[in-house]
Amino acid sequence: MTNLALGERRPAILPAIEAAIRRRRFWFRFQYAAVWGVLIGFLLLVLWLTDNLDIPWIAEWGPFIVGGAWTTILVCVVSMVLATSLAVIGSIARLSRSAIASGVSGLYVSLVRGTPLLVQIYFMYLALPQVGIRLDALHAGILALGFNYGAYMTEIFRAGIQAVPRAQREAAESLGMPERTVMRRVVLPQAVRIVIPAIGNDFVAMIKDSALISAISVGELLWRANAVGNRNFRTLQALLIAAAIYWALTIIFSFFQERLERRMARGDR
Amino acid sequence: MHLRRATPLVAAMALIITACTGPAASQPASQGASATENPFADVPNIVCVGEATTYQAWLEGTFEGADQDPIEEPADSTGDLLEAIRDRGVLRISTDADYAPQSFLEPDGTFVGFDVDVGTEIAERLGVEAEFMHIDWDIITAGSWQERWDISVGSMAITTSRKPVFAFTQPYYYTPAVLAVTEESGVTDPAQLPFDLPEGAEVTTRTTDAICAEEIQAGREEFALWMSSESTVDEAIQAEIPLVKIGEPFFAENLSVAIDKAGPAHDALLFEIDRIIGEMHEDGTLTELSEKWFEGADLTQAPIS
Repeated sequence: MTNLALGERRPAILPAIEAAIRRRRFWFRFQYAAVWGVLIGFLLLVLWLTDNLDIPWIAEWGPFIVGGAWTTILVCVVSMVLATSLAVIGSIARLSRSAIASGVSGLYVSLVRGTPLLVQIYFMYLALPQVGIRLDALHAGILALGFNYGAYMTEIFRAGIQAVPRAQREAAESLGMPERTVMRRVVLPQAVRIVIPAIGNDFVAMIKDSALISAISVGELLWRANAVGNRNFRTLQALLIAAAIYWALTIIFSFFQERLERRMARGDR
Repeated sequence: MHLRRATPLVAAMALIITACTGPAASQPASQGASATENPFADVPNIVCVGEATTYQAWLEGTFEGADQDPIEEPADSTGDLLEAIRDRGVLRISTDADYAPQSFLEPDGTFVGFDVDVGTEIAERLGVEAEFMHIDWDIITAGSWQERWDISVGSMAITTSRKPVFAFTQPYYYTPAVLAVTEESGVTDPAQLPFDLPEGAEVTTRTTDAICAEEIQAGREEFALWMSSESTVDEAIQAEIPLVKIGEPFFAENLSVAIDKAGPAHDALLFEIDRIIGEMHEDGTLTELSEKWFEGADLTQAPIS
C-alpha cells in the first residue's frame, strides 16, 4: 500500500481491494492500540507492585489535582494569543527595511530566547514591581510565557514569511497593492498555513512549560499536585497524576492539530 | 571499523561510563568510631532538612533566634496600613500550604490549619474578613512583598537575620525542633550517634521537609536523620513512615506574625495585631487552637530555657 501525502485522494480501486485495504489498516491500528495498552498496563503494574499506587488516596485527592488543568489550559490559551500577536509583529519587524524595527525585534528574540523561562517568570513577578508594574501571579505567569514563546514564534513566522514564494509578492505589487496590504492579504495568510504545524508544536510544548509558573504559586496543575503531595507525604503519586493529565492534554491537542493540518492541506489538491 | 565512525561511539560510551560510575565513586564515607566500640558507627552523619528552614540554619551554625523588637503605640495612625485594611474590609494573609498541620489544603481546595485559624481570628478581631493567598515560603521570607498581601501568619521564626526585613509581633506559639531517625538504624538516643550535633553533622536539603520523610519511606539510604518541627515529625510518624523521634527538642523557635518593613507604614497595624495576639493568649483562644491542631499539645506557652 503506497503512503499517501496529507489530503491526497486515493485513486479509484476495485471495491474488493478497497475492503482489503480497510481490513489491513484496521488490524494495524488494533495492534498499535494493543501495544500501547500492554506497555501502559505494565507501567501501572510496576507502580502497583512497588506499593506506589494508593487508590483510595488518588480517589480522594485526584479530582482536586485534575481541577488545576483548567487553569493550565486558560494560561496556555491566553499566552498563545499573546505570543502569536507578538510573533506577527516581531517577524514583520525583523524583515523590515527599518534598522530600528529590525534591531528592536532582533534584540527581543535574542534576549528572550537566550535566558531561561524560569528566570523570566521570576522577573515578571519579582522585578517588575520595582519599576512600578505590579502584576499578580497569574498575570505575571501569562505575560512571561507569552513573551517567551513570542520570541521563538517570531523566528518561526519569519521563516514562514520568507517561505512564501517571491512571485506572490511581486504579482501583488504589480497590481499596485500598497506594501501593507500585500503583507496583510497575500503573504501572511500563506505564511500562516506554512507555520501551523510549528505553532501546534509550540502549543504542545507550552502546555508543559506552563508547569513552571507553579514557582510563583499559580494554582495550576503542578502546584496543586505539589501542595497535595507534600501534605500527605505522597509526592510521587501526586506528580504521577499531574504527569498523566499533562500527557492527556498534549494528546488531545495533538489530535486536533493533526485534523487542522489535514484540513488545511486539502487546498493543495 | 573505520576510525571516523568509531570515535563518536567511543566518546559516547566513555561519557556513559563516567556518568554511571561517578556518583557511586563519590558516596560520602562516614567512619566514626570503629565498629567494635559503637554499634551505630555506620549511621551516616548526614541530616536531611527542608530548604531555607531554621533547621538548616541551626545545623550550619547560622541560626540566631531572637525576640521581637519592643512595640509601641504610634502617636498618629493616619495613612497607616491598618486604615487601608479597615477601608478595604479585607486582611490579606500569605500562607504556604505545604505545612500540615499549620497550613494545608482540603480536597475541595480550601485552606485549613492552625495558622489559618489564627489568621481568621485576628482578622475577625480587627473587624475585617481574612483572605488567604498561597505563596511559596521562600518568596514570603525574601521580603519586598510589593503590597501583594498585608501580613504573614505562617509560623515565621524570629531570627536576627530576618529582623531588618520584617517587623514581628510577639510570638503566638513556639515550635520545638526535634531529630528523627529511621527505625531500621536502631538508634534510640542522640548520644548513641558517633558524631556531635550540630558540629559533626553534614546537611542535605530537600525542597520541603516532607520530601525528606518521603525519601525515607521510599527506602533511600543516603541519610538516616531528619530534623524538623515536632508537629511535622509527628504527622510523618502518623502517616506510618518508619521513623522514631529521638531525644529532647534541640531548640525552640519564636513564631510570630510578620509584616514587610519595605511595605507601607504599618506601626499601628503592628501594635494592633500584637495587642490582639496578647488578648488571644490571655483568653485561652490560642491554647484552644493549639490543642485542636497539635494533638492536644499546648505549644503557646514560652519554653523555659
